[in-house]
Amino acid sequence: MKKVSILTILFTLIAGFTIAAEVNVFNARHYKADAELYNKFTSKTGIKVNLINGKAGALEKRMIEEGADSSADLYITADAGRCGVFKAKGMTQGGLTSAAIKAAVPSNFRTSHWTGIAKRARIVYYAPERVSGAELAGLTYESLADPKWKGRLVIRKSSNIYNKSLVASLVKNNGKAATAEWAKGVVSNMARTPKGNDRAQIMAVAAGEADIAVANTYYLALMLSGKKGAEQQAAAKKVKAFFPNQNDRGTHMNISCAAMVKGAPNKDNAIKLVEFLLTPESQEHFVNNTFEFPMIGGVSANPLVVNNIGLDFKQDLKTKVSSYGAKQADALEVMTAAGWK
Amino acid sequence: MNRFNVWSLGSFLISFVVIIPIITVSVSFFEETSNYYQILKDTFLLEYIFNSAVLLTGVLILTFLMGTGSAYLVSFFNFPGSNFFKWTLILSFAVPPYIYAYSLTAFFENYGTAYTILKNIFGDANYNIYIPKFDGMVGAILSISFSLFAYVYILTRASFLYQSQNLIDLGRNLGFSKFKVFLRIILPSARPAIIAGLSLVAMETLAEFGAVDFFSINTLTTGIYNSWITFDDLAFANQISFFLLLFIFALFFLENLSRKKAKYHSNMKGGFKKKEKQDLSGAKAILAFTLCFVIFFMSFLFPLSQMSYWTLKFSDNLFDLKIYELLWNTLYLVFLSFFVLIILSFVSNYGNRVSKSKFLNNLTTLSISGYAIPGVILAVAFITFIAWLDNSIIKAMGFTSVKKIFFGSILGLIIVYFIRFYSLACNGIKSGYEKINISVDENAYLLGYSKLNTFTKIHIPYLKNSILFVGILISLEIIRELPITLILRPFNFETFATTAYIYASEDLLEAAAAPSLFLIIIASFFILLSSKYILRDNDE
Repeated sequence: MKKVSILTILFTLIAGFTIAAEVNVFNARHYKADAELYNKFTSKTGIKVNLINGKAGALEKRMIEEGADSSADLYITADAGRCGVFKAKGMTQGGLTSAAIKAAVPSNFRTSHWTGIAKRARIVYYAPERVSGAELAGLTYESLADPKWKGRLVIRKSSNIYNKSLVASLVKNNGKAATAEWAKGVVSNMARTPKGNDRAQIMAVAAGEADIAVANTYYLALMLSGKKGAEQQAAAKKVKAFFPNQNDRGTHMNISCAAMVKGAPNKDNAIKLVEFLLTPESQEHFVNNTFEFPMIGGVSANPLVVNNIGLDFKQDLKTKVSSYGAKQADALEVMTAAGWK
Repeated sequence: MNRFNVWSLGSFLISFVVIIPIITVSVSFFEETSNYYQILKDTFLLEYIFNSAVLLTGVLILTFLMGTGSAYLVSFFNFPGSNFFKWTLILSFAVPPYIYAYSLTAFFENYGTAYTILKNIFGDANYNIYIPKFDGMVGAILSISFSLFAYVYILTRASFLYQSQNLIDLGRNLGFSKFKVFLRIILPSARPAIIAGLSLVAMETLAEFGAVDFFSINTLTTGIYNSWITFDDLAFANQISFFLLLFIFALFFLENLSRKKAKYHSNMKGGFKKKEKQDLSGAKAILAFTLCFVIFFMSFLFPLSQMSYWTLKFSDNLFDLKIYELLWNTLYLVFLSFFVLIILSFVSNYGNRVSKSKFLNNLTTLSISGYAIPGVILAVAFITFIAWLDNSIIKAMGFTSVKKIFFGSILGLIIVYFIRFYSLACNGIKSGYEKINISVDENAYLLGYSKLNTFTKIHIPYLKNSILFVGILISLEIIRELPITLILRPFNFETFATTAYIYASEDLLEAAAAPSLFLIIIASFFILLSSKYILRDNDE
């Protein structure tokens, strides 16, 4: 009977997991380079990496609903804000405290529950044709609300996690009330209703739709690499990078992070994988494929990043990245109240 | 008749499973939501409703114009390519709204394909400011309209075929112009079919997730997803779902109502005279050709060429793609769902037929509303239900958790597909069954056939064509399906749809091109298989 055989197929499928050496990764970073790294890890250690790819929110939800029965070991995602909030929900556990991890990652970029595996900065891009050095001098995130930028600024939607974390860091440093005022100023300076991804903001500056844009560091290098086609490569050359807040706390830094999921069935393997991602070999792979900054010392950023964006800048090491998650709700609230779409 | 036999019990159980999400959503409506974000939620709720309304209105206007316009041209006139367009216009079904959205963005964005074309023709300059930007709400309306107008086209065209030539002649004799005949006679008499088509479009639009999410527009459907994710508020998500469901139910009954009327019209046999198609020539022929070509080009050739161009331009991504694995996974889901859906639809239909129970019939009618419920809601409701079942019943009784059996498994995926697409299968089989007179069954019993024998020896052979047609429809839906697959799929399991979506959501649109292209090709193949059934003419 057809019905019986289908049921049999279904049940054998369900029963068909549980292999000895494996690590289950809920993965919200979808760079092809990452998949290559996981393959390297498997061939080195014999530990199979099982991936479920998805958008961060949906993956987190599934782990939460599965609860103690979840097969998730590691959650890998971009942005400290996500890892922080996930930890606050009680979904992570300690364990990323091995000597190798502690030696590799500076303490402000990790907790015992999650650790940075690559770094990025959220900076300002400008069109040198239309923005003078004098105008830029001393630019801070705070001064993006200055009326002189009226109709000249582009930035993503408020629902974007990079923006939530940036604004969370402002709430942390300047307080909620001041940041609420600031958000209103930024909204009135916008050249258009927020739309598109970070790269679209940079291209809007190149195309003359706006004079300055807020976006992460690796996007410009990605465009310059030619991986996005010759047109975008040419467009990227019309735009320059500027690091805000050099005269005070430094430029807003963020990370891609790996979090140890509570109840992880393969905790030891998960630690091994994180340690592997922090080796110079893996870090080289990251910096040359995703154009992020390396998390560890002794590895240089990609030449496209070094030459076009620069490394010689003051990072904000004062604001702990773990505060991005803690202040995320406030950040979203002040942006929404300001009418930031 | 024995009312409580195995068949009707099966039918009851099937309907019950399908209704679970509706019950879950309705129950959650009365639960407390967290008021932590109350202000934000109030702001967002208005935005969700407003955006859904704008989106719906835009899509309905566009699909009405394109669907009825093209159906009118190919049904009443002969012009160069009219037979070609008759079937190529349904190819637009192969391009899901989210892939259309990727194509629009790839072509019109700053430094996109349009820019490249202009640069290659006219040399270096900043053309970006002259290139219109189809993103946000406009982009979403266009993406959904071009992908869905075929619903209106197919149903309207079918109803045009049955229109009485006498009525049209009467209009002509009264001195009506062609346009007036169209407006006063042809259109009003096709109204039930047009409304049926538009309500399908409306349901799909309200349920749309991929394209709307890509353009980050907050509609009720993305709102449900976001409040579940951003606010951690399943109860609020379910409350939005409840509003959406009310809206959808209204549409659903409207559609059912108009379908009944459509049947009435099409049965009008008296005075039926084979319609003569008019030959168009000169400027009129060129105009008709141009209109149809523009719709065909925009709905199918444009996304197909944009995705092909990017697949070739960024061919590294093509070689990285595990094509066989993705193809296998996609087809695997298609076949598994097909068997489950067809078999259970038979059980249900046959159960209703032998039991003749009014209650069961109504239950079945309610259960086929699954198609009107957005996939996102179904997936969320499914997770809510299983989590509840697991925590408050199964674990309480001392058994081990069953969550793993349903979350991240093919079984869970197939169950939710089943709930979502059951109406397609059930209705398809039902309309086939309606053509077999109940006296056939009774004669079979008199001849000593058992119920099972009647079923296998008489019904199945009778319904072969219905099964095939329904199978193809299901396949198309599964190939294009996104939110359910995304939320519930197992480890290391991707389809063309999920691969395209994930790359696109990570700003790797060029890598999304290859899986999108494969998806379009496979879906086109299934459409070509089915075109014979979709476009059945009355003279065939």
